[in-house]
Amino acid sequence: MPAAASPAAVARNRAPASPAMVALDVTRAWAARTLRARYQQSAFGWAWAVVQPVAMVAIFTVVFTRFVRIETGGIPYVLFAYTATVPWTLLANAWADMAGSLVANLNLVTKIAFPRAALPAAALVARAVDFGIGMVLLLALVVAYGMPVTVQWLWVPVIVAVLVTFTLGLGLASSALNVFYRDVDPAIKLLTQLWFYASPIIYPTALVPDEWRWLYYANPVAGVIDALRDVLLLARAPGPELAAAAAMAVVALAAGYAFFRRVEGRLADVI
Amino acid sequence: MDHAVRFSHVSKKYHLGLTRTSVAAAAWRSLRHAWNGSRGADDVYWALRDVSFSLEAGRSLGLLGPNGAGKSTILKLLAGITEPTSGEVESSGRLAALIELGAGFHPDLTGRENVFLNATLLGLPRHEVRARFDEIVAFAELERFIDTPIKRYSSGMTVRLGFAVASCIEPDVLLVDEVLAVGDAAFRQRCVARIQDLRSAGTSLLFVSHDMGLVKAVCQEALYIEDGAIRHAGDTGETIDHYNRVLDQRRLAKLQQQAGSPGDHGIVEIGRVEVLAGDGGPVRAVTSAEPVQVRISYTAYTDVPKANVLVRMMRSDGLSCFVLRTSQDGVPVRFDRGTGTVAVTIDATRLFPGSYYAVVWFLDASDANGMSRATSDWFEVQGRTAGIDHHDGVFEPDHAWLTRPAAAEGAAPVGAKPGPAGERG
Repeated sequence: MPAAASPAAVARNRAPASPAMVALDVTRAWAARTLRARYQQSAFGWAWAVVQPVAMVAIFTVVFTRFVRIETGGIPYVLFAYTATVPWTLLANAWADMAGSLVANLNLVTKIAFPRAALPAAALVARAVDFGIGMVLLLALVVAYGMPVTVQWLWVPVIVAVLVTFTLGLGLASSALNVFYRDVDPAIKLLTQLWFYASPIIYPTALVPDEWRWLYYANPVAGVIDALRDVLLLARAPGPELAAAAAMAVVALAAGYAFFRRVEGRLADVI
Repeated sequence: MDHAVRFSHVSKKYHLGLTRTSVAAAAWRSLRHAWNGSRGADDVYWALRDVSFSLEAGRSLGLLGPNGAGKSTILKLLAGITEPTSGEVESSGRLAALIELGAGFHPDLTGRENVFLNATLLGLPRHEVRARFDEIVAFAELERFIDTPIKRYSSGMTVRLGFAVASCIEPDVLLVDEVLAVGDAAFRQRCVARIQDLRSAGTSLLFVSHDMGLVKAVCQEALYIEDGAIRHAGDTGETIDHYNRVLDQRRLAKLQQQAGSPGDHGIVEIGRVEVLAGDGGPVRAVTSAEPVQVRISYTAYTDVPKANVLVRMMRSDGLSCFVLRTSQDGVPVRFDRGTGTVAVTIDATRLFPGSYYAVVWFLDASDANGMSRATSDWFEVQGRTAGIDHHDGVFEPDHAWLTRPAAAEGAAPVGAKPGPAGERG
């Protein structure tokens, strides 16, 4: 731009920024706001990102190696549980945060026009940062326990993508539905508890009877966790359940986004 | 000339019951409506009905009307916050809506972080925020506090930052909804000046305010809106006159309707509270030394042989500065059925510069029970000296300084500096 241009001339007579760019900008800014606000005045700061899964793993390890013995096929229970707890924490926390993201910011939704999907998306991004820290710690732990680093690790980004895609679809739909029906919040709390036991977090899928396996893998989280255990702990490629989870994730995102777009224009009227 | 804004047969319907909806309640309601054969039309509220108007690029339009008339709905439709039930809303170019200043501000984040956040929400790309950051901070006069969390800001500072961000967008169409009613007088004047600057650079303006004087100052045309429909459209002065005539007629109609039905409530109604110059002429700004008159027009629906009037002077931030009462001054008040006025003159307010308004109460004979209450428009008290004043306190009584060298009198205060009378600290 010419140096002589006044600030006014710079800003004027330009087309409005593209909606996608605005959506990305808002998502980034809101995610940064969420993270800063979460950690700014806390003494432990970023440590909180890993405290929750680590604490869960600690208690599981005590209970399921000392009190109730669970057969993990020779994998140290700590590794076994932490591999599942990291993705599960992302899903559970992001789902809850995303579902509340529109309702909690109703002054924005009713007072400013911006791409509404940015709010649930930012809630996911903010949790994904915690997840990233958790994953780094997980990989370090796997190496520390002497597990071989194999070419199968290349699957990790794919598995993460499936999980994030699924969570995004679920969270988008839940955030919009929550605006219309506040039952969504308590329902999510309950479903999250049930879902925890329906996923192979504290026990291996091997304990699920063969004839129920197909139904068990209708839960994409089961597919994601088993795929992660396959590539990190068993040094083998993921089974077909990852493909099933990926297909469900794509459907969830498509349906969740379509639903969100459909009701987006009515959010400010109802909230 | 191009249209900056065009509404074609726009209607907007709200469902009143929807926020309470649970699945069970919704099911029960539809069952009940099916049983009654009705569709529950009573739950529907039309905020706008078949509204059409357009605004040429570069022009300014004021929206007048009582609360709930549909003014804010028009702005929300234009901003894209909500969608019309039917009809078409069009606007051209970049649009900025000042419906709530500082929306999205987070108290734990610093002023700097909040500027980026708020500007992004308003649709300004990040690189542009960066380019204009210094300008924004300078306009808000918050250079020293920009890295302080805004939970430590005063409400005035927060509003200043909010307006500074919003107005730097330099939109083609600017929507302003009653946001200037907050903040101190000096900043309010700069906001209006800023809006005028944008206007002269070609920005079209839609302006909602209950302050008729402000609408008159800022807008070329105006719409009077009530019950979701345009009741009058024309140039600003004409529309304001029309609106005032309608309000007067309503008061008169109410008087006639209530004739012969003396009730305990609503027997006297305050029509308008005006703050005028000492000679009764209109005024928007006075100095603290000039006389002002608070004039109250009223309608009495019955004779009230004994009553009291209270005038409370409020600063813009809600501080009560002083109270004048007829009971305290021993002035008898009676209202005869019909219309009339009460006025109180104040020789000099002695108030520090700022925005003020008067709150008026009509009280019964006991001086304890209110019969009617109304407030005036804002008016400005200007400082005696030019430049920005920083004041502690509320007012400045008449005073004079007296200083003498210690040699002249032993009792003189130590360290007092000779200077012109009335110098302020």
